Amino acid sequence: MRAGVDIGGTFTDFVLIDEGKLRIHKVPSSPQQPERAMLAGLSALSGGDLTALEQVAHGSTVATNAILERKGARAALLTTAGFRDLLYIGRQDRPELYALQPRIAPPLIPRERCYEVRERLDARGQALLPLDMADLDRAIDQMQADGIDAIAVCFLFSYVNAAHERQVQKRIMQRGLLAEAWQVVLSSAVLPEFREYERASTASLEAYVRPVMSRYISRLERALPAATSLRIMKSDGGVMRARRVRQAAINTALSGPAAGLIGAAQLAAAAGLHKIITLDMGGTSTDVALVAGAPVPRPEAAIDGLPLRGRMLDIETVGAGGGSLARVDAGGALRVGPESAGAKPGPAIYGLGGEQATLSDANAVLGRLDAARFLGGAMPLDLAAGQRALQKLSRPAGLSVAETAQGVVDIASVHIERAIRRVSIARGHDPRAFTLVAFGGAGPLHACEAAARLEIPRVLVPPAPGVLCALGLLLADVAVEFSESVMSAASASRLAALVADEARLRARAQAELAREGIAAADSICAASLDMRYAGQAYELNIPFSAEAIAAFHRAHERSYGHALPERQVEIVNLRLHGSGITEKPSIRRVQEQRHAAAPFGEKAGPNGSALKLFEREALQAGAEFSGEALVFQLDSTTYLPPGWRARVDGMLNLLLERQ
Amino acid sequence: MAVDAISLEVFKNLFAAVAEEMGLTLRRSSFSPNIRERLDFSCAVFDAEARMVAQAAHIPVHLGSMPASVAAAVSHFDSFAAGDVVVLNDPYHGGTHLPDITMISPVFADGALRYFVASRAHHADVGGMTPGSSPLSTELYQEGLIIPPVKLRAGGALNDGVLALMVGNSRNPGERLGDLQAQLAAQRIGESRMQALMREHGVTASAEHAAALLDYSRRLTEAVIAALPDGSYRFSDAMEGDGQTEFEIPIKVRVDVKGKTMRADFTGSAPQVLGNVNAVPAIVRSATWYCVRLLAAEDIPVNHGCFAPVAVVAPAGSILNPRFPAAVVLGNTETSQRIVDAVLGALAQALPGSVPAASQGTMNNFTIGGFDGGAPFVYYETLGGGHGGYRGGDGISGRHCHMSNTLNTPVEALEYSLPLRVWRYHLREGSGGAGRYRGGDGILRELETLVPATVTINSERRLRPPYGLQGGGAGALGRNRIVRAAGEITVGGKAVAQLKAGERVIIETPGGGGWGASAGATAREG
Repeated sequence: MRAGVDIGGTFTDFVLIDEGKLRIHKVPSSPQQPERAMLAGLSALSGGDLTALEQVAHGSTVATNAILERKGARAALLTTAGFRDLLYIGRQDRPELYALQPRIAPPLIPRERCYEVRERLDARGQALLPLDMADLDRAIDQMQADGIDAIAVCFLFSYVNAAHERQVQKRIMQRGLLAEAWQVVLSSAVLPEFREYERASTASLEAYVRPVMSRYISRLERALPAATSLRIMKSDGGVMRARRVRQAAINTALSGPAAGLIGAAQLAAAAGLHKIITLDMGGTSTDVALVAGAPVPRPEAAIDGLPLRGRMLDIETVGAGGGSLARVDAGGALRVGPESAGAKPGPAIYGLGGEQATLSDANAVLGRLDAARFLGGAMPLDLAAGQRALQKLSRPAGLSVAETAQGVVDIASVHIERAIRRVSIARGHDPRAFTLVAFGGAGPLHACEAAARLEIPRVLVPPAPGVLCALGLLLADVAVEFSESVMSAASASRLAALVADEARLRARAQAELAREGIAAADSICAASLDMRYAGQAYELNIPFSAEAIAAFHRAHERSYGHALPERQVEIVNLRLHGSGITEKPSIRRVQEQRHAAAPFGEKAGPNGSALKLFEREALQAGAEFSGEALVFQLDSTTYLPPGWRARVDGMLNLLLERQ
Repeated sequence: MAVDAISLEVFKNLFAAVAEEMGLTLRRSSFSPNIRERLDFSCAVFDAEARMVAQAAHIPVHLGSMPASVAAAVSHFDSFAAGDVVVLNDPYHGGTHLPDITMISPVFADGALRYFVASRAHHADVGGMTPGSSPLSTELYQEGLIIPPVKLRAGGALNDGVLALMVGNSRNPGERLGDLQAQLAAQRIGESRMQALMREHGVTASAEHAAALLDYSRRLTEAVIAALPDGSYRFSDAMEGDGQTEFEIPIKVRVDVKGKTMRADFTGSAPQVLGNVNAVPAIVRSATWYCVRLLAAEDIPVNHGCFAPVAVVAPAGSILNPRFPAAVVLGNTETSQRIVDAVLGALAQALPGSVPAASQGTMNNFTIGGFDGGAPFVYYETLGGGHGGYRGGDGISGRHCHMSNTLNTPVEALEYSLPLRVWRYHLREGSGGAGRYRGGDGILRELETLVPATVTINSERRLRPPYGLQGGGAGALGRNRIVRAAGEITVGGKAVAQLKAGERVIIETPGGGGWGASAGATAREG
């Protein structure tokens, strides 16, 4: 028995595979002790016998929440003397260009816990000044008095030569300042890349969340049977064994959206669709990503204004969700989000005191939410309150209530459209060649309208759009990544010399995959090079081969419209990415019997049109119907506009197509 | 397609996305640390009448001055063809200072000119007296290569000769060529994205919405001005010298607020000066519009409409409207900051509760250049400093203020490619002005050159500190020092020095002014 468990703000979702059969479960989350809801759910699913669980794949927001709520470890930072304020100066810019009273996101480590140590390397990693042990001991004394539980170390050029950082770790352990070596976070280990601020920020984030994640994982491991293997989702869409969280806790920070993306990509692939754009829309935000064969990685992101670099998936997040507030601004334009009504008071229709119109209220006024069926009837909706909120908004907009509601929905579609553009057109992909995979509570409600804006011809809504992230956890492969700084001019002979390095990294990756319990036959390793023209700062990732230089010129031409064949090409990093293919649940496929689906009812839309109503559970493979229609299910509602047709495929996906 | 509250928001995002994508292309494919690391560039979309429709928010000083570039291109050429790219940097013909090179491309649809897309990037060296092209000059000719509006590409054909001429006048030609090619790539992206936008949404609908967006921003800006009490507000601040002599150079403004319109009259400011701090009118407009934009709580899309309700007057022959060929290289970076301090000082009388005390008021420009084993190198950097305190909060520390928002060059990027070493880079504790709400702290940066080099420093607020408000204290003065084998000397705010290998320069940037009296605060109002 294997389980995927995704802990969200409101619900903890479970997908269980038992002898090839999939089961789905949902329990309310327990934010104070996230593992409580998880264990309760697992216990219920396994009939009280957790020993039947061979494996649990887990995604949580523990790391993210620790940062957002500033409830992480009591951490300190050690820097090269003269650079104590790395985190406080940042890159010298202010986040908002036109703020009369500018503010910056406060760093996670207070300035009084930033310490300097005399040492200095040059750009080639040669020591200009040795590590000053007396200086270090003084800092250790001060930290001792301060009662800290994690230390980030970021010295200049440690990505070229980590010796000084390692000496610091050794000394800290000798002095008994911390109990475990993993409590010392070396920037050279977490992010061996140039740019000291981004590296210091990433190391500080790691130090801030590592003790929290470590404690959390320990509690989970104690509660689960010893034989159950626990894997944790990472931001790059792969899973790792739980123990590795003590080296890479911050790698879980953006794992939630990544799990959804993996789930969507694999479901779509099973349906024969390999070019997809995912649309995961929840209460406060929407995550959008593009998959053309494989998900696209990206090197950097920001969490609460703090930069994080590492391997993660290229996911665009926009502040538009069901709870996004709508308003008319002083210039007379209708705006939606990024401010959100949150869980409390929430949208007006929740009846919890919210008065300002939200996207969910607009959907309710347009008749697209069923008052009785919302969350399977667990939360009856106050439609009159939604109507009042939209009425209030319609006056300054000078529009009717229905027009205003449609406008709010349209603007949400525009936000989605802009995010889709950024992941598609801006990267040279034509969205018209893609299928939009919609999930999350609100994704299927807005997918068709957003798709129409970019002439995306098809939308896929998975059978259980609300638990797709939990399914993604089960579908994710084990991912390991090793890299080495190369930093030299590219030439045929240099490439030939790298073959030996590549073999060494490959052996390390294979050993790591073996530790994850992956058989050699299920391991796939791919080497690549980060390359650029000498003098550029941003690299393109090119598959490792003897032809890599020519491939780089072509990739530059594709990305930027020009190549510079006379320029010297540089190899910055050699990377080795290893995947351990995990056992996948077989997705049941039934014969499609084409037939017209019969709606269980009909209701009048806002402009007098007739909306056909369907129950998702009642739709069999091969069922067909056309818009305007609504499809209700426990965790989501799908809206099919006029001019669209729907078909249920053999895997019970809803395929929506424009006629 | 009729314009309504909804479609307006749609097109606002569409136009902005074009400018954003141009910027992304430029950043990722450029070569100089100044563009790829410090992001010293801006991109924008203009309508056929050279009115700015959308700008990717990067550098405020570019915002009001790019329209002058497009206007200059339009008035200079009788006609455009698809595939043209006009390039210019002449401050007296659409530019601001010579390192800022602007490219402008017409965008056609159905055979007619519909839009322009433009990019402006600060190129680290365009020739002139000292490496980095920010010399202590006395006429424009000393500041580098002057490029009047010329077609770098005509109908899609690159003019290799013009490109070679531009590259050949720079101390680092290889880097210049790469950056200019990256800028051309950004222009190509902008042009094709605008064409796609018109194809998808229609030429007419696009034009109607572009016009409606200008109107929208105008209404929002008018609402901001209308909220100010009518009246005349005066303020006077001063520059500390022109690089030739240290003397007070007054920057005076009278801001008249009447209903929905505002007029900023700089009459009474100093006559034009011999040195490099003269500012062309495009900069004066930029700085004034920036101040108005700051007052708006709404996220106003920055376009031509923001400028319409604000009139700016600067008498010809003054430091804020100099006659050719007055030296102007610091007008863009330093005088622009003082204009902001003056206008905000005046507006503080209209809005005493919300305008913050003065921020550092300088960009602390410094350039270092020379030869590294026979190869020329140029390094250009600016430094953040303290921001002014405001009612309800201390000023932020170590960040760029007002007309600049460039990033720093990471030490690890700098030392990898240049013969320089950074020994200290930290906040100047206690440099923020005292007050109920303290000013932010400045920065100290200490650099060593490993080869003989020329350093040029162009900074302000070394003699007259950033002012406090409502009884708050002034921020600490900045200070520039040179450490030679024989000892340390303090140099002026604007200085050139020849350094030997192993010598160092230490720059300390000003603190921000404090807001509101507190025990022990020395009140100093500008």
